[in-house]
Amino acid sequence: MNRNIDTFQYLLLRWSGVMVFLVLWEIAPRLEWIDPYFVPPLSVVLGSIGELFREGVLISHLLISLWRGLLGLLVAIVFGIPIGLLLGWRFPLAAEVLNPILRVLSQVNPFSLLPIFILCFGIGETAKIAVVGWVSLWPVIFYTVTAVRGVEPVQVKSARAFGISESDLLVHVLLPASLPLILVGVRIGAGLTFYILVAAEMLGASAGLGWLVHNSAMNYQIPRIYAGATFIVLLGYLLNRGLLWAEKTLFDWRETISGLVRDQAPADVKPWITPRFAAAALAGLVVLIVVAGSVEVYRANLQGGEVMPAGGHSRHVGQAVGE
Amino acid sequence: MERHQLILYKILAVAALLSLWEVLPRFGIVDPLFIPSLSGVISTIYEMTSSGELGKHTLVSLVRALSGLLAALVVGLPLGLLLGGWFPRVQTATEPLMELFAQANPVILAHIIIFFLGIGQTAKVFIIAWLCIWPITFSTIAGIRNVDPTLVKAARSLGLGRFRLFLVVVLPSAAGSIFTGLRLAAGYAYIMLVASEMMGASSGLGFLVVQSQESYNITRIFAGASVITLLAVVTDQLLKLVEKRLSFREENDADDYVRMRQAVLGPAA
Repeated sequence: MNRNIDTFQYLLLRWSGVMVFLVLWEIAPRLEWIDPYFVPPLSVVLGSIGELFREGVLISHLLISLWRGLLGLLVAIVFGIPIGLLLGWRFPLAAEVLNPILRVLSQVNPFSLLPIFILCFGIGETAKIAVVGWVSLWPVIFYTVTAVRGVEPVQVKSARAFGISESDLLVHVLLPASLPLILVGVRIGAGLTFYILVAAEMLGASAGLGWLVHNSAMNYQIPRIYAGATFIVLLGYLLNRGLLWAEKTLFDWRETISGLVRDQAPADVKPWITPRFAAAALAGLVVLIVVAGSVEVYRANLQGGEVMPAGGHSRHVGQAVGE
Repeated sequence: MERHQLILYKILAVAALLSLWEVLPRFGIVDPLFIPSLSGVISTIYEMTSSGELGKHTLVSLVRALSGLLAALVVGLPLGLLLGGWFPRVQTATEPLMELFAQANPVILAHIIIFFLGIGQTAKVFIIAWLCIWPITFSTIAGIRNVDPTLVKAARSLGLGRFRLFLVVVLPSAAGSIFTGLRLAAGYAYIMLVASEMMGASSGLGFLVVQSQESYNITRIFAGASVITLLAVVTDQLLKLVEKRLSFREENDADDYVRMRQAVLGPAA
């Protein structure tokens, strides 16, 4: 829509809102429009982020949070995609009949499940991963069912006409055709996951980005609260954009097959990385985070054994603040 | 498949699930300490209702969630309409900022919000409203942007004024999209409600759940969780009903999914 403005001007306009906000964030506390004790200026917050980086704290907590989120997401994918495929492709009647139950289950509040999971699995990593998995399971299932149902019947029929076996049909026709939409489900799950995970870490954990913010708040290190929060916001944004980019790079063929997702990538934008490479890079990143995260979680749990706060920790402190 | 037959099957499926919930813990196939039987949960709900405890907590939570949602609607809808309908340049300029704000998890911000609003009701409503504003704004913008230009041109050529055009053409076409955002926001409202009540409250269903967790009373946790789920489902169904009454066109799955992603990820997604 902005064909007549050139790209630079467009980018300038697009990011002007963010820039104004950042400038205000720097100026307002400096000129004492708002109390700099409660809202430290941007530069102080950035300095605090740098400090956390240099101490190595930030990377460690980041890895732990990413590890938890990723494992939860993997659990959701491992269960969600086969269930979705079965329901959408093999048993459409069952999908229809079970729909109300699945919808209600998807509405079950993850935070009210957290205590149940903690009681079942203990306060360790399993409970958090289970909550994350639960939250992202539903978008993955729903989108997989819709994706499989949306596969062009012509493609299935012509594959059948060539005498394809059922398993080959699944692997070579149904799965590739529905993957783009399945990934949308994964992306929505991932976005939600990040909210829930960080919140869960605030409510009861001894490590992770959520805990970092919570701990800073408990110690009245206000710039660190902002540093942690800013970092989490940036991370969420990058995660979102990264997944969007992956979706565009991996599935640049999809306009031709799926009527569900319309006019995504403009035709003139050629991805500068091949889908195969992007997939490999993504897989490598996942493995890296899982491995490095496991080490980090193991270390954190060794250290944190004695300082592990109880489940309701934050609430008591909150009440104490309120009194 | 006959329509009423399908409904029968659905009811049967629900009944089967509920009876599993009753039977499995009763015969010890799953540990009743972790998953109490349905009848136990129901009798707990009944006891808590007759003592007035459940009613009180439910009312408190409902007021919080709905005022948060209402505040989000009052801010988000006009914001989306203005940005999407009248000031596209301003919308371009603020879109990345809004996307960043949408990523700002209110639970993380809770400590900061408490500095300004204290720990009372206002902070909780603000936390809920903050998360709910973005899906509403995003889907309103997306809805307006996706109005069929032919319709607008046709209406213009029939001599409709700007205001009438907006009221008669743009708003009805965008209604479906707006409702998707609203329903998503309603879901978020309940999620955030429980989170905010867990962080510091002395009443509400989230408080009830945490309190029961501390006294290891699993049946009460299940009772609280069931009521929250019920509230969320009822709210969603009500919104769906209103949507159906208001909507002017056939519902279709594909549109719904495109709208969903725009509500979650911003109008550009």
